[in-house]
Amino acid sequence: MKVTPIIGLEVHVELKTKSKMFCSCDAEHFHIDPNTHTCPTCLGLPGALPVPNITACEWCIKLGLALGCTANNISFFERKNYFYPDLAKGYQLTQYEQPFVVNGKININDHEIRINRAHMEEDTGKSVHIIENGEELTLIDYNRCGVPLVEIVTEPDITSAQMAKDYLLKLQQIIRYLDISDADIEKGSMRCEPTINLKIEEDGQVFYTPLAEIKNVASLTGVQNAIDFELKRQLEEFKETKEVKNSKNKTTRGWDAAKNKTFLQREKEGSSDYRYFPEPDIPHIEFTNEQIEAIRSTISELPDQKIEKYKSVYGLSDYDAIQIAADKYFAQIYESVVTSESDNKNIKEFAKFVANLFLGAIKTYLNENEQGLDQSKINPQFFLDLFKSVQKSEISSTVAKQVIIESYQSAKNPIEIAKSKGLIQVSDTNEIERLAKEVIIANPKAVEDYKKNPMSVGFLVGQLMRISGGSANPQMAKEVLEKLLQ
Amino acid sequence: MDLQNINFQQIRQLLLNKKISAKEIAQFYLDRAKNIDPKIKAFITITEKEALKQAEIIDEKIKNNQNLGRLAGLVMAVKDIYLTKGIETTASSQVLKGYIPQYSSTVYQKLIDEDVIVIGKTNTDPFAFGCSTENSGFFTTKNPWDLDRVPGGSSGGSAAAMSADLCHFALGTDTGGSIRQPSSLCGVSGLKTTYGRNSRFGITAMASSFDCPGVFAHTAADIALITEITAGKDEKDATSSNNEVPRYTELLDSVDLKGLKIGIPKEYFSGSINEEVKDKVMEAALEFEKRGATLVDISLPSTDLGIAVYYILVPSEISANMARYDGIRFGQSIENTPDITSYYMKTRGEFMEPEVKRRIIVGTYALSSGYYDAYYTKASKVRTIIKNEFLETLKNVDVILAPVSPTTAWKIGEKVNDPLQMYLADVFTVCINVAGLPSLALPCGFDKSNLPVGFQLIGNYFEESKILSIGHQYQKFTDYHNQKPKL
Repeated sequence: MKVTPIIGLEVHVELKTKSKMFCSCDAEHFHIDPNTHTCPTCLGLPGALPVPNITACEWCIKLGLALGCTANNISFFERKNYFYPDLAKGYQLTQYEQPFVVNGKININDHEIRINRAHMEEDTGKSVHIIENGEELTLIDYNRCGVPLVEIVTEPDITSAQMAKDYLLKLQQIIRYLDISDADIEKGSMRCEPTINLKIEEDGQVFYTPLAEIKNVASLTGVQNAIDFELKRQLEEFKETKEVKNSKNKTTRGWDAAKNKTFLQREKEGSSDYRYFPEPDIPHIEFTNEQIEAIRSTISELPDQKIEKYKSVYGLSDYDAIQIAADKYFAQIYESVVTSESDNKNIKEFAKFVANLFLGAIKTYLNENEQGLDQSKINPQFFLDLFKSVQKSEISSTVAKQVIIESYQSAKNPIEIAKSKGLIQVSDTNEIERLAKEVIIANPKAVEDYKKNPMSVGFLVGQLMRISGGSANPQMAKEVLEKLLQ
Repeated sequence: MDLQNINFQQIRQLLLNKKISAKEIAQFYLDRAKNIDPKIKAFITITEKEALKQAEIIDEKIKNNQNLGRLAGLVMAVKDIYLTKGIETTASSQVLKGYIPQYSSTVYQKLIDEDVIVIGKTNTDPFAFGCSTENSGFFTTKNPWDLDRVPGGSSGGSAAAMSADLCHFALGTDTGGSIRQPSSLCGVSGLKTTYGRNSRFGITAMASSFDCPGVFAHTAADIALITEITAGKDEKDATSSNNEVPRYTELLDSVDLKGLKIGIPKEYFSGSINEEVKDKVMEAALEFEKRGATLVDISLPSTDLGIAVYYILVPSEISANMARYDGIRFGQSIENTPDITSYYMKTRGEFMEPEVKRRIIVGTYALSSGYYDAYYTKASKVRTIIKNEFLETLKNVDVILAPVSPTTAWKIGEKVNDPLQMYLADVFTVCINVAGLPSLALPCGFDKSNLPVGFQLIGNYFEESKILSIGHQYQKFTDYHNQKPKL
């Protein structure tokens, strides 16, 4: 029996525009007093009309273009009709026939995940279920009603829970690079609904298990666990019932993170009839090719492009390149330091040097102190100075790591810090010779030992380092001692 | 003072010269409403308190020599589907009974800003679904020319209030004829503007791609003034037009009747049309011909598809537009139901009128998967054909002249058990809504029973100034618009 998971993802991303999708209400809804960010339009009052937020539309297109999608010149909104108390109008404005952007892709480790579409819609309000005086009540908060959402729909190209997670991380990274959403899964500004089934090949026959759409997954681990659970469950169910997919047995399952299992929420009779039709309150929206190109031109360098640049131009390893590109802000600061080196011959060495400090000392320090990188504390000139000192062997790479952290904290020049702490290496031959002579006179026994066993020079080097207060260049100390003792 | 028979300019002069106060005007109309409206039942709400308060503000302004709005001293009746902040707005449906809006519709607010006095909210078919006011969740309005007959609809309350001189002008909406048809049946003038000319914001939606707010008055000149104020882009209505609003009042004589090509569409003078109506409308056409206009026989062959297209697309939009009336945030509701589904069903089942339910059901059906293409998509295509037919025709003629209603006002109750007959009352008006064109309805005589007959002048998109000018000139050489019912 050969089993292949077939997974497609629908991801909803809340855009961080100032105002809502179809009215001028403040779109902020996290920890806001209930129903304070509302107006006739988002409350669905009689006579109120929607006016589209063009910035949100442009951001949807921008995301689509970043995902390699094609933008439609003409798009329109549609009404998706269903009743629910937190859906104020009794229909949701979304896009069905003609979304803003279609046909993109994301590559995960050379595996292509096709993106069917990215379309614009509006969020619903929130139902809060409480018990007051023994009575079950449902309260509705319309603050979230009408907040702009982009829905990104993949083809069923994902074959494992890990791949789903990698896809989500990459999508999240791109969205954050575009600066159009916080894309925070825990806070609900990025929500994921996997649809899953299995392809089972057995005795020369092929079977597909019934589709299950999974809701209420509120974390990245949740996505992974829910998919893993569901894959196992479907396989067991298939072994038991041999039921295969048809147009009427798609189900909706909820994810219970506490019990670590999915549970049946709704059995669907085929697909629900949402009676989509074009929203007559909003004229068709046209984006000319020029406008689409203008939107494309606002897309800054994306993670994949940065990684490629770091590898080919900066000579970083694959691992380092990925690490630095992970966060746009971190990468930008890194690049601002690297590009301060005007001497192109040195660019690769300097880039590697800075990468080591960023990913080593600085990142460790930030993690330990639970801080983010603060651009104002990074002075490219300090890195250049430090780089030159290390190249001249005035400062060891160990000292460099130490002083860059002190410099980050105090805004002082790291070279000055090294000097004040006596951490500058003495590479002056005359000075080292003077010290070496002193060591030879003071340690006749060690000198004897050396003559018998040249490998024992380390002791004398150590003595030299000691009387130099650690500032002597150890390599030079060794060379000078060996020369004098010949 | 005979306040009913003086024009807008005279009222303003009297006010400015302090011959009369705004309060006296308001009181005159309030008294008149109290005396006459019980017979006609045009109003659902008479806004006595608001009217007197607005009058007081105007009088205060006059006293202090402050700038007066363009409509100071004029009295307005408002169809009860316009949201009026602080004033109950029912849309003539039980489902919205008791609803006091937190905001006002744009058109209403623009008029209030010009110091108009609001006298009351008028009856209509619920949410404007109908053409006689008989579907109203409260009562049927009566035609001032014959109290046994309907005033037309859906804006029948506004038309009746206008006809009975209970206001200086009245607001209505026209989705399939709801301004023009009651104008015709009540013997007043009414303008259906180009779709997008007046903002729809704050008016309960019937069919969003058809609804056109507009005004009733005695004359085309009065309509020109009001429309000049109400028209224009509204940032809150994405379908409102950016087209500049002409000074309609200054263009009333701009069209030269000599050489004017008036299209007479044969489809509008055949079929179910009553002979008397046909003759009166043709008389109007001949009046223009006498003054140098050319009558051109034209054909609009898709006319008979208008009703079919209309009664697929309109209920489809209605079925979604009515979804918000779920009893959760406003209006009446049935409490203590076991679950949310029965809450919806009981609330909507109890408080929505039969015609509202009928249209929701028809629209829901037409949009259902499996039927969508056969109904909605096909109707949308025919809509384009009808629109193009008008545009092609209007390349050859300046304006189209046609009857508004195939008959004069019918008896109350005559058609209530036959929805299809009721729908056919709009046969000459719906195509104009399907196309989104402007059309001005004007009175042009009376039948043997002394019931008013009206005709309409249909222009190209945003040609309100043209049809208003032609209508204005017509009213210079006729006086049907000055005829008043005996009450």
